[in-house]
Amino acid sequence: MVIDTLKCVGCSDCVVACQTENDVPIGYCRDWITETVKGTYPSLDLELKSERCNHCENAPCVRCCPTGASHIVEGGIVLVTGDECIGCGACIESCPYDARYQHPDGYVDKCTFCHHRLEKGQLPACVSVCPTKCMYFGDLDNPNSEVSQLLKKRKYKTLAPEAGTKPHVYYLL
Amino acid sequence: MEEELFISGRNIPNIDPSLEVWHWPISLYLFLGGLAAGLLFFAAVFYLLGKDKKYPAAVKVSSVIPPIALSIGLLALVYDLTHKLYTWQLYTTIRIESPMSWGAWVLLIVTPISFLWTFSYYREVYPKLENKLQVFKRLKFLNSFEKFIIKNRKYLAYALIPLTLILGIYTGILLSAFNARPLWNNAILGPLFLTSGLSTAAATIILLSKKKKEKHFFGKIDLALIIIELALIAHMIMGYFAGPEVQVEAMQLLIGGEFTVMFFVFVIILGLIIPAILELIEIYGYKTPVAIAALLVLLGGLVFRFVMVEAGQITRYLY
Repeated sequence: MVIDTLKCVGCSDCVVACQTENDVPIGYCRDWITETVKGTYPSLDLELKSERCNHCENAPCVRCCPTGASHIVEGGIVLVTGDECIGCGACIESCPYDARYQHPDGYVDKCTFCHHRLEKGQLPACVSVCPTKCMYFGDLDNPNSEVSQLLKKRKYKTLAPEAGTKPHVYYLL
Repeated sequence: MEEELFISGRNIPNIDPSLEVWHWPISLYLFLGGLAAGLLFFAAVFYLLGKDKKYPAAVKVSSVIPPIALSIGLLALVYDLTHKLYTWQLYTTIRIESPMSWGAWVLLIVTPISFLWTFSYYREVYPKLENKLQVFKRLKFLNSFEKFIIKNRKYLAYALIPLTLILGIYTGILLSAFNARPLWNNAILGPLFLTSGLSTAAATIILLSKKKKEKHFFGKIDLALIIIELALIAHMIMGYFAGPEVQVEAMQLLIGGEFTVMFFVFVIILGLIIPAILELIEIYGYKTPVAIAALLVLLGGLVFRFVMVEAGQITRYLY
């Protein structure tokens, strides 16, 4: 997933779309918006971005899961099987992005990149509703995909790369 | 200046504003697990050395504690799970990469062995209790079972030594495997928790022992362990301050931050330095309240687990 921080206006539409699509319990969220202000007045720099699970290549949550409930499916998406999860919280502790939470039903829940929608050939709910079209979703292994092309052309960053997780959500600068 | 805030009203219970997924049962378990591992380790070692008559508290009397400690610890662990009915899923797979999977399996083996160990000494150590309960008279098969266990006690002891070492180190590795929590992400935590567990076990033996020589001997062991523990803590602090920014910030929680008093007063001074001084004075032949030293070691060990679990969860990379 690629997110253009220059286009994001921080409207939270992606958050609401996710909560509606995935029936996220009230008070919880699988994605969220952060606003970062850098510098001192009058030279201030504002960055808005939508954050979520980074579906890391070297996912610590998958590594530390004692039951194998957290796993990586084909294509690199990190998922949790609710019926295998014991709710120990190890994956929550292991996530440098704090992207996971304990669902009120007990199991651990997080962003799935709307895996159920992808199977039908649709885009994740957050991407499909974004009014400024600042989010892009696609196959990073395919050099001709929109996301690969964007990463070729534009400057980008990932969140907390120093945590060594090889995150797969890229932010265009 | 940099300021970052959530504008989508993110307020997830137990995660925002600060992570608190693991509560007091985890700290309690880490303490009880380390204590049980230490006691069983000493019991097995001194049994194999043939010192069960010389050090009866270490080998026999203290054997009643590990099964109780492990049972309470296991209940505490399950209590802190949020999907409790699915706990059995732990035993459907072995995941080499996951410390918790290791721990779950080791506990599944150590807990029954600890019960067998206690059972094999039950009649010898608690003849009065047996006279009252008359368990062996009522259940005849226990007699032959006891004989069988006593005959094979040696093999139990051989199994216990590596298993208890894994269990003792595991209480530290469980935390240190999380690189997302800078305060935990330190390889020294495994040996440190093992040393602390052995030290609390030695203190328990001092409390239970009625023989002066045994008290004296375990006072020496405890003193050596405390010195090792202090050295490991010093290394841990140095390591963090030589580390990246997140680790320096993490250590500042313990040094200057909100956990300073808990860490220095309860863990370092009351839990380690004062007992060490008391035990040192005792070794030189003066009479000191060793029981107080032992109790302080236990208290320090417990507070140390709480400090590490609570403070570690506050440290993070983002936000």
